[in-house]
Amino acid sequence: MSARERVLERVRSACQERERTEHPGAFESRDAGADPASRLTTLATMLEAAGAEVVRVDGMVEAGKWVRRFANDFESVSVGVTVPSQLRPTISTKGSHEAALGLSMARAAIAETGSLLMDARDGRRTQLLVPTHVVFVYQADVHPTFRGALSSVRADLPSAIGLHSGPSKSADIAQTLVTGVHGPGRLIVVLVA
Amino acid sequence: MSGHGTPNRYRQQATHTIRDEPYVRESVLSGTDRANDHRNHAYAEIDADRWRDWGRDAKTHTLTNLDRYLEEAERNLEANGVRVHWAETAADALTVLRGIVREHDVRSVVKAKSMLTEELGVNEHLERLNVRVRETDLGEYIVQIMGEPPSHIVAPVMHLSLDDCRQIFQQVLGTPRHGTPEELVAAARKALRQEFLAADLGISGGNFLVAETGTVALIENEGNIRLSTSLPRVHVAFVGIEKLIPRFEDLAGFIQLTARAATGQPIGNYVSFIQGPKKDDEVDGPEEVHVVLVDNGRTTLLADEAAWEALRCVRCGACLNICPVYRQTGGHAYGWTYSGPIGAIIAPGILGLEEALPLPFASSLCGACADVCPVRIPIPELLLHWRERAVEEGLTPLTERVGLEAYTRAATHPLLFRAGGTLLRRTPWQLGGTALPILKGWTQERTTPEPSPKSFQALWKEGIE
Amino acid sequence: MRVSLFATCLGDQFYADACADAVRLLRHLGAEVDVPAGQTCCGQPAYNAGRRVDAQAMARHTSKVLDGSDYVVLPSGSCAGMIRCFYPELLVGDGARAHALAQRTFELSQFVVEVLGVQRLGDGLSGSTVGYHHSCHALRELGVREAPLELLAGCGAAVVDWPAAEECCGFGGLFSAKLPEVSAAMADRKLDTLPEVDFVTSTDGGCLMQLSGRAGKRGRGPVFRHLASALWQGVQGGVRA
Ligand code: SF4
Repeated sequence: MSARERVLERVRSACQERERTEHPGAFESRDAGADPASRLTTLATMLEAAGAEVVRVDGMVEAGKWVRRFANDFESVSVGVTVPSQLRPTISTKGSHEAALGLSMARAAIAETGSLLMDARDGRRTQLLVPTHVVFVYQADVHPTFRGALSSVRADLPSAIGLHSGPSKSADIAQTLVTGVHGPGRLIVVLVA
Repeated sequence: MSGHGTPNRYRQQATHTIRDEPYVRESVLSGTDRANDHRNHAYAEIDADRWRDWGRDAKTHTLTNLDRYLEEAERNLEANGVRVHWAETAADALTVLRGIVREHDVRSVVKAKSMLTEELGVNEHLERLNVRVRETDLGEYIVQIMGEPPSHIVAPVMHLSLDDCRQIFQQVLGTPRHGTPEELVAAARKALRQEFLAADLGISGGNFLVAETGTVALIENEGNIRLSTSLPRVHVAFVGIEKLIPRFEDLAGFIQLTARAATGQPIGNYVSFIQGPKKDDEVDGPEEVHVVLVDNGRTTLLADEAAWEALRCVRCGACLNICPVYRQTGGHAYGWTYSGPIGAIIAPGILGLEEALPLPFASSLCGACADVCPVRIPIPELLLHWRERAVEEGLTPLTERVGLEAYTRAATHPLLFRAGGTLLRRTPWQLGGTALPILKGWTQERTTPEPSPKSFQALWKEGIE
Repeated sequence: MRVSLFATCLGDQFYADACADAVRLLRHLGAEVDVPAGQTCCGQPAYNAGRRVDAQAMARHTSKVLDGSDYVVLPSGSCAGMIRCFYPELLVGDGARAHALAQRTFELSQFVVEVLGVQRLGDGLSGSTVGYHHSCHALRELGVREAPLELLAGCGAAVVDWPAAEECCGFGGLFSAKLPEVSAAMADRKLDTLPEVDFVTSTDGGCLMQLSGRAGKRGRGPVFRHLASALWQGVQGGVRA
């Protein structure tokens, strides 16, 4: 018998000894607000509480202007695959492990936890290696609940999803909060209307 | 530093920490105070009772149907292109790892924080295979340099002060003697970044494994788990068989509940959902992903009529933080991977009862852990369960057995009991102490209690005004 | 109203005066108090040591001794918790009796507040500052948190804010003798965080014995007084030893 068979056999016999219980049903959390405005407010509040910065822009044109102005302070940029061309700054591009700035497009956002849902198809390295990370998310893609966001992506899963809810941080050393441990130390979220 | 004990020497190890390392107790008390504050706030923001009921019921459902969920997970993992391995023992798991190391000619490994790999002895094994292995979680990195195991399942260096960390970083990374935490972290970031970029293999654990989609979910704050599972060309995740959850949507409940219980955050700053190797339309990610499903004693716990409930554990560490016993010593006193209340109730399943013996007794049964556990494991009941098993198997000290049997005989014969009381009032305890080690334990640390001049029964008989 | 007092083994031998004060307090509140003959120990020491069979024998004995009582009141949260929470499961085959007993058993302050509906006893503790140690079993098994605080405040005492008030003192029965060093460190944590008080009180003799024993060994510490005595003082006024 293989290890697989031996383990499964023991699990089966333990399960047979015990009454099988029902799943308690879908997890119901707090309602982050059905209306889009309060959803955005919750998202922004949660992100800021976790140490991220939040910018709201009115449409793609304004988003493009904002990012070009913002990028001027940086030497180089690494841009995610699915970031629309209007949102690409004009500064020089570099590999993600050298670039000073990274731009990514979030597939969705979750208001209740203050999270950005990052799809591997946008490129993982840009999401992780840059010191400053700008993430665009369309306001229409903000889900009130975590569960709602999960069910909306379930049918089309990439090799990996990362939920980013703030800058990289640690409190391991003497319980002192420090940002920028391994991932980006600065996270700027641009909510695009 | 006491890092490599055994459960059997719990009392000596705990005493050593309390007497000879008072700074450990100080660090642990302040670290756990903070964690308890954070958790209390985070629980107060939600309907914690209802969430915890849900967590308990969803895990109980999974465990009572674990046979079919394991098979479902295996099917879906394989459909996603993940290579699935089964390990009955720690040795099995290490054999799987050796195979992967050989197949890919692995020279260097980056590791994301994982208690299961501590349990299995993955680092020691890789070192024996001449593979360079680097822990990348900041706390794990520090204990790895110190040659110690982590002292807490969530906060590995809770036992260390800022000054301890400064000394270590000065030696290894040349940071200033009085460096700030920011300076230390910046030095570690730089050193570990090179390791991430160069590693052939990334090793992680798994907080949850979703049967329905074959998703391995991981929670963290630093980004090292995302990096370890994204940069190297091969990723291996070691996942205990109890980590299964039924549906993708269930992640919403478990991740929030775990984060709130562990650190008081609404969610970890990074969460990874791993589906498999890099797909054709993706620009980066590992070429190969392996999941090793590990038993190593878990089926022993699953078969136990009471202890199986401990398998609901999501390893949030809340029971350690609140435990007044853990708080006096930190985790090293317990002498194995999992310390505190959760460690004490799973040790007998994983190590065997005799080996684990002192741990179920290392509790005053105050019940504080059961009040905070996000999946409502009845920890005090399970501690008692193992104590009863130890008695049944004749593993408790003879003096205790004889003493309690005699006490029981007296307590069921009131005249005898009364006579015992009279004797007690006439015999100084110090004298009794030489005969009964149990009394010696008391008087070693405290003054001898004075019996009342007359028993209450005597007062009652005389009449109370 | 007829109330049966179960003094507990520790109360009988070490806190006899407190048990007598409990009798006085209950009588003062209009109860007719009896002390059922043949009472010994509730069985908790054996139960917590994993000696289920011994605990069963003591539970059987105690439940018989307490048969026929209207209410059972204990000057102890721990032993009341034992009867209320664990007897029904221990006394298999005698479930009805165990359940009925569990229903009518109370810790002293719980009984005064919940059953008698009394919160104000007198003003005998006016001007005193008091530290209240929540015994784990009163707090977590019986859910008694407010009752003792209300009664102390109702006697005019100022109950201080003690950061470790709800933390275990480290007694835990045999635990205190099996792991004395850890147990003592737990008591130290309690004592180190205690603000200046006139006395410390608690509903459990075991906790008081642990804390006072440790304070004695350290050569410093507050006065300790059982809750029953503190409350009777609250009724009476004046300081008693
Ligand atoms: S037993 Fe409960 S509180 Fe302790 S680590 Fe596990 S889930 Fe957390």
